[in-house]
Formats: sequence, C-alpha cells, structure tokens
Amino acid sequence: MIKRVIPLGAIFFFFVLVMLNGYAFGASAEENYQFYCAQCHGVKGKGDGPNATETQPVSPRDHTNTKEMKKLTDEDIINVIKSGGAATSKSTLMPPFGKTLTEKEIQELKDYLRKLCKC
Amino acid sequence: MKERGLVLWGFIFMLCMLAYSGRVDAGVAEGKKIFESKKCNDCHYTQGPAREKTIKDQLSKKGPELWYAGSKFKEGFLEKWLQDPKPIRPMKYYSLTEKNKGDHPKLSGKDAKEVAAFLMSLKSKDVKAGVIKAKKSARARIVFEKKLACYGCHLVKKGRKIVGGLTGPSLVDAGERLNPDWIYAYLVKPKVFKPVKDMPVYVGIVGDKEMKMLASYIATFKQKKKKK
Ligand code: HEC
Ligand code: HEC
Ligand code: HEC
Repeated sequence: MIKRVIPLGAIFFFFVLVMLNGYAFGASAEENYQFYCAQCHGVKGKGDGPNATETQPVSPRDHTNTKEMKKLTDEDIINVIKSGGAATSKSTLMPPFGKTLTEKEIQELKDYLRKLCKC
Repeated sequence: MKERGLVLWGFIFMLCMLAYSGRVDAGVAEGKKIFESKKCNDCHYTQGPAREKTIKDQLSKKGPELWYAGSKFKEGFLEKWLQDPKPIRPMKYYSLTEKNKGDHPKLSGKDAKEVAAFLMSLKSKDVKAGVIKAKKSARARIVFEKKLACYGCHLVKKGRKIVGGLTGPSLVDAGERLNPDWIYAYLVKPKVFKPVKDMPVYVGIVGDKEMKMLASYIATFKQKKKKK
C-alpha cells in the first residue's frame, strides 16, 4: 500500500512545483511591457500610448530614444520601475511597479528597455 | 395529540418562511433569469472568487467581472446605467488602440430594475460597510494628484476641464457610481477583486491612513449638474 502511495505523492508534488513555477515566473518581459508599460509608453515604446493625452503635464519617455535612455544606468532604470518617477527626480506620472512586478520581472524589463533603445 | 399540534405549527411556520423568502428574492431571481436570457454571461461572470491568474486570463475577458457588483456600485446606479450605458472606460475593454464605442447592450426600464436587483444581491465579504465616508481634504488631493498622479490613467475633473489618461475607468463621476467602502477595499485588497490588471498595486507604497483618505476623496467626485 505505502509503496504505491509514494510514487503517486511524488507525481503530485511534481505537478504542484510546475504550477508554482508558472505563477512565480509567469509573464515574459514582452508580455509585461505590453500590459503595464505600453498604455503610456506605446506598444513600440515611442512614448505614444493612449494615456499620453494632450492634457497630461509630462510625456512618457520615448524608450527608443538612444540619446536620452543612455543617460540612465541599469540601477536608475530598475529604481524608476520599482519606485516610480520620484526615484530619478522625474514626474510621479511614471508610477511605481515594485509591488506589482517581481524582482526578476523588473530585471528582465530593464533588459527589454536596453534592446528598445539599443543602448 | 400535543405532539401533532407542534408538528402542525412547525409546518405552518416553515411555509410562512418559504413564502416570505420567496417574496424577497422575487426581483433577484427574475433578474438572474433576464441576465442569463440576454446572454450577459457571455462577457461577465457572476460567481466569485476572482478567476484571473495570468495576463492572458485577463486579456481573454470580454467584460469586467460582476461577482461583487452589489458591494461595488452605489444603490440606484446600475438601474439607471443599464438603461443608458454611457462609457465608463474611455477605451474599449483592455484595448490600447480602440476607443469605447458606447455599444453596450441596453435594457428596458423593467428589465434594468430586476437585473440591478440581482446584481446588487452579489456582495463580497471583503467589503466592510460603513467605514469610509465621502470627504474632501487637502492632504488627499496632494496624494492623489502630486504624490501618485492617479490621473495618469484615469480621467478626472480639474476645475472645469476633464484631464488625464484613458486606460482606467473614468473617475469623473466615481462618487455617483462607486460605494466608498468598495473603493477602499479595492485599493487595499487588490488580489481579491482584480488580481491581474494594468493598474499598479499600491499596498506597501501607500499607508492605510492615506488609502482611507484616497477612498474618501474619490467618493466626492461628481459630474457637475447640468443647468436646466
Ligand atoms: C501612467 C503612465 C506610465 C506608465 C504606466 C509607465 N510609465 Fe514610464 N514614464 C511615464 C512618464 C510620464 C515618464 C516621464 C517622466 C519624466 O520625464 O518626468 C516615464 C519615464 C520612464 C522612464 C525614464 C525615467 C527617467 O529617469 O528618464 C523609464 C525607464 C520608464 N518610464 C519605464 C517604464 C516601464 C518599464 C513601465 C512599465 C512597467 C512604465 N514606465 C510604465 C509614464 C508611465
Ligand atoms: C459583448 C460583451 C458584453 C455583453 C454581452 C454584456 N456586457 Fe456588460 N460590459 C461589457 C464591457 C466591455 C463593459 C465595460 C463598459 C464600460 O466600461 O463602459 C461592461 C460593463 C458592464 C457593467 C459595469 C461593470 C463595471 O465594473 O464597470 C455592468 C453592470 C454590465 N456590464 C452589465 C451587463 C448586463 C446586465 C448585460 C446583459 C444585458 C451585459 N452587461 C452584457 C461587455 C458586455
Ligand atoms: C497605470 C495606470 C493606472 C494608474 C497609475 C492608476 N490606475 Fe486606477 N485603474 C487603472 C485600470 C486599468 C483600472 C481598471 C482595472 C480593471 O477593471 O481591470 C483601474 C481601476 C481603478 C478603480 C476602480 C474603478 C472602477 O470603476 O472599477 C479605482 C477606484 C482606481 N483605479 C483608483 C486609482 C487610484 C486612487 C490611483 C492612484 C493611487 C490609480 N487608480 C492609479 C489604471 C490605473
């Protein structure tokens, strides 16, 4: 009896692990960018998402602008995603995502931005 | 003999209870039937808890979840809105490119009343009643506008103008639409109501006192009355 239960338990445990994995590391950087960032920064990162209306006091950063984006260190980018615009003395219109995205997802978004700006 | 009398009285009592509960639920049951026959469930689910786990889950939805509608909306709002469903979200649901065309299904006055009764019966145990009262304050305004710039994704009134972003539901008339207690619950328990959404989680960034102030502040937002 017990001999039969152990392999079953192991299989069950394996599935639980696979599922947990799915939740913890869920979304790709592309998926996260399109879901959270594109609404302001635009689907191609040009700073032209639907929230960038003419009534807003500041325009979202154009993430494809190599010259501007080059000024930011990796740490700046990570901090600004985590804590919002206030972290780099920019507008608070850039919201804080530190409680929405995991550490790993933020790291991957930083890499994604580096690709967008080619810098 | 005595026992039989007791049983009889018990039976009559139960019948009365049944009749009474039946009467109370009449609008609700009728509303539920209309909700189903009009295919409202094609786009809305009415049974909690929240089902969305991933971004894909959220993006596959055709309309907002309604399983806590009775806690979310102000008494009277739904009956009016269902007859004249003006856009709440400026953009088409979770679209970044298309505007909301204002083509939501409309109900007749009678149907709207019954469907509203059904939806208002869907309460969430995670919303405590009577905690938050609508209240303006200078502190709340600073938090809402300056510190967190909530208008980044929400339309709000600023003086006479309407300003802000378009991906969130308009907050211009939030005080007429939303139950203040739900606003607070939504802000402090984001995982209960909308576990996956494009609004950031502010728990741990904003303290409880400020959350309460924000909820009270939003609850004062009203569309200006039109001049007669
Ligand atoms: C509500 C709109 C909004 C959303 C959503 C948003 N941003 Fe921003 N972001 C802005 C604005 C506005 C600025 C420009 C701030 C300024 O120049 O003062 C900005 C600036 C930035 C900057 C440049 C900061 C600097 O110091 O120059 C980075 C990097 C950035 N955003 C990344 C992101 C990422 C990654 C996401 C998604 C997780 C995101 N943003 C989501 C509005 C937004
Ligand atoms: C084709 C999909 C679709 C169908 C069918 C549909 N709805 Fe909706 N419903 C939506 C969308 C999309 C929204 C968001 C509209 C907006 O923000 O203006 C919405 C919003 C609502 C809201 C407000 C919810 C909120 O959280 O803001 C209620 C209440 C509602 N619908 C009830 C109904 C009822 C009752 C029916 C049936 C008569 C129905 N809907 C049929 C798509 C649908
Ligand atoms: C990055 C964009 C964004 C920012 C910034 C943002 N929101 Fe939202 N908000 C949304 C979206 C999108 C929804 C709708 C989510 C859904 O229904 O799936 C929403 C929903 C809401 C709702 C519920 C409205 C309704 O009718 O369902 C309230 C209340 C709210 N936000 C308040 C705030 C407050 C307060 C702030 C500032 C602390 C804020 N929001 C900042 C995007 C945003």
